[in-house]
Order: sequence, then C-alpha cells, then structure tokens
Amino acid sequence: MMTSMLRVAQEVVRDPREGAERLAAFLRGLYYILYYRAIRRNVRIGFPFSAFAAVNIVGPGLVTIGKHCYAAKNVFKGWTIVTHSPEASVTIGDRCVMGGITIRALERVEIGEKTMSANSLIQDYVWLDRERVRTKIGHTALPDIKPVVIGENVWLGAQCVVTCGSRIGKDSVLSAGTGCYNMQVDDYCLVSGNPAKKPLPIEKLLKLKGEL
Amino acid sequence: MTDWFARLRGIYFNLCCQLLGKNVRIGNGLKLYKKLTIDGPGRVELGENCVVTGVLGDKAQYVSIDTQTPEACITIGNNVVLCAARISARYAISIGNDVVIEESGIVDTDFHSIKRDRDSDLNEVPSKCKIVVGNGVLIGARSFISKGVSIGENTVAAPGSIIATSLKAGMVVCGNPARPMV
Repeated sequence: MMTSMLRVAQEVVRDPREGAERLAAFLRGLYYILYYRAIRRNVRIGFPFSAFAAVNIVGPGLVTIGKHCYAAKNVFKGWTIVTHSPEASVTIGDRCVMGGITIRALERVEIGEKTMSANSLIQDYVWLDRERVRTKIGHTALPDIKPVVIGENVWLGAQCVVTCGSRIGKDSVLSAGTGCYNMQVDDYCLVSGNPAKKPLPIEKLLKLKGEL
Repeated sequence: MTDWFARLRGIYFNLCCQLLGKNVRIGNGLKLYKKLTIDGPGRVELGENCVVTGVLGDKAQYVSIDTQTPEACITIGNNVVLCAARISARYAISIGNDVVIEESGIVDTDFHSIKRDRDSDLNEVPSKCKIVVGNGVLIGARSFISKGVSIGENTVAAPGSIIATSLKAGMVVCGNPARPMV
C-alpha cells in the first residue's frame, strides 16, 4: 500500500498536471473500494484501483476485480458490471486497463490479467429473455447460456461484442467491431469481422510481413 | 414498491407533457424505471402499457425520443419495452406491438450528404427513409437500425448487429451487415 502511494506522490512531483489527474483517479478508486466494501459485500476490488471514469456495479452476483486495475476514460461511460442472478460471477484479473466496457453475466465471466479493452460489450448470454425468443422463433437451436473466458494479455478493440460461450486464448487480439458468438479462439490469434471470421495466427502474419 | 413508483412516475410524466403542451400522446399504464426524454417539434405517440427500463443504478442509461422536424412522426405500439434505446426521426418511424429494444439506436436519416459540403441530403424522400419495425421484434444491445429499413414480424437481432437492409419475418440475424445466424 505504501509503495503505491509513494509512486503516486512521485508522479505528482514530477508532472503536477498529469499527477493531479492520477491522484484524483487514485482517490476515486479508493472511494470505490471503500464504498463497495461498506455497502455491497459481494463486490471485492483490489487495492490500488485507479478510476479515471465512473464504475457502476449492479446486481446480486459476485464481482471480483484484481489489483492495479484502471478504469480509463472513454466515450462510453466508465465500467458497467451487471449480474442478473445471485449465482452469477464476474472475475477481472490484475493490471487490466479497460474503458467504457459493459459486462453482463447470468453465469460466469472471466477476464484474465493485463487485458486491454475499449468500449466493448461482454455477456455470457445472447438474449436475456431466452424463453421469449424461443416462443417467437419456434425452434430450440438457440445458443445456451455459457460462460465467457478471456485469457491473459488479450487486446479487445473498440465496439467489440463478445457473447455466450466465447473462449479467447491468451495474447490474442480482437480488432474493432468484432462480434464473437460462441467462438473458440486459440492463443496468439487475430480475429476480425462481425460475425467473426476464422482466427489468424499472429505468428504467421508476422512471418508474411517479414517481421519475424 | 418500485413497480408502483414506476407507474406513478409514468403518470407524472404524462401530466407534465400535457401541461407543457407537447405534441405527444401517451397511452395508459406507462412505467418509467429510468428517465425518458421526448424532444422536438414532431409528433410522438406511445401505446398502452409501455415500459422504459435500463440498467438500474447507471445514470447514463436512459431512453431518448427525438423528432427533428415538425413533420416527423414516431409511433410506438402497445406493450413495448425500451431498455436505454435512442430513437431519432426526421421523417417517420413506426414500431409495432410487443417489441423489445435494448440499448441500441434507431435513426432514419444520415444527417449529411456524401458531397463535399456535407449539407443535408436532398435525395432523401420520406417514403424511402421510413423505418418500420414489425410486431414482436427483439433487438439486442449495441445494434443500429439505419434509414429505409423495414423489419418483419418476430425477427430477432443478436447484440451488435448493424441492420442496413430490410429483413423478412421470423429471422434470427447477427453481424454487420445483418445476415441470418447459422
């Protein structure tokens, strides 16, 4: 705790203007940690947490956020995490930098360490009201509610939609506007398109470019 | 308790609209769980038993209905659920009964032309730009419906789909541009 406070203090001394912003974010994060610890027992936020934008956590489920996370500024407002049922759980790893994301969970959403994300939508269902959709369409070949697992060091571009049963391996990249519906992505792959096309291994791409 | 409060808020909103002399007609049984804003000089009609919701506790999520010209007309049917939807019309938008719209935008104009001066498009005709959403349609979060689209009955759109062409009845679509889901 002391070391992180010292680091913020050092930054204030080095660059007053940027440092003031960092300090405000740090204090805001501290406020969120204390607020959720006092009011909502099912939410755990690790220390330190830098909130450059608002963080909203709603619902009866369990939400765990790791240490050294950043809620970055974005056109969409901060973080919104919604759990629809008491069994639902959302886990976010350490050192995540995310802005403007919306996470909604009925069952389980896991995000690994060091994940970066712009304004994307992550949910472990496709439609909340499945029974209603089923009665409308009249067949049962609808995607189930399946947990979403995002690995370590994944980069989610702007306006991504990751839904129901998607598993994204570590070090992968989702380009802007990707829509993943029940996709299995291996480690270190590039995915693009809505609905997403076949993932491309990044090593192959780098070889083609002659950078490897 | 909250249902009761939402119902009361709906009655209050209706009363405010009538007192301010807005060109708005709201049916019975409107429930407001989140803020609803209706702006502009055009005509707005809301059917009976409509529900306005969003993620509770998030202030950024509210429903806005805008009309940009006096001729614009937005008609919304009965039993419609609007979750943080943004509806904006220059010509005409009609939404059927039992429709659910989640966190997505519906705009029936491009606002600008593709010419260099970026003025409003003179080729836009009300008959071409009209949006019709059929009965029982369900539209997922972060979708977008652009001008001149008509969606058939009971069609379901996955989250994040961009609907730029007309869709038939009873389809399940996703993607950009929206196409049938496998």
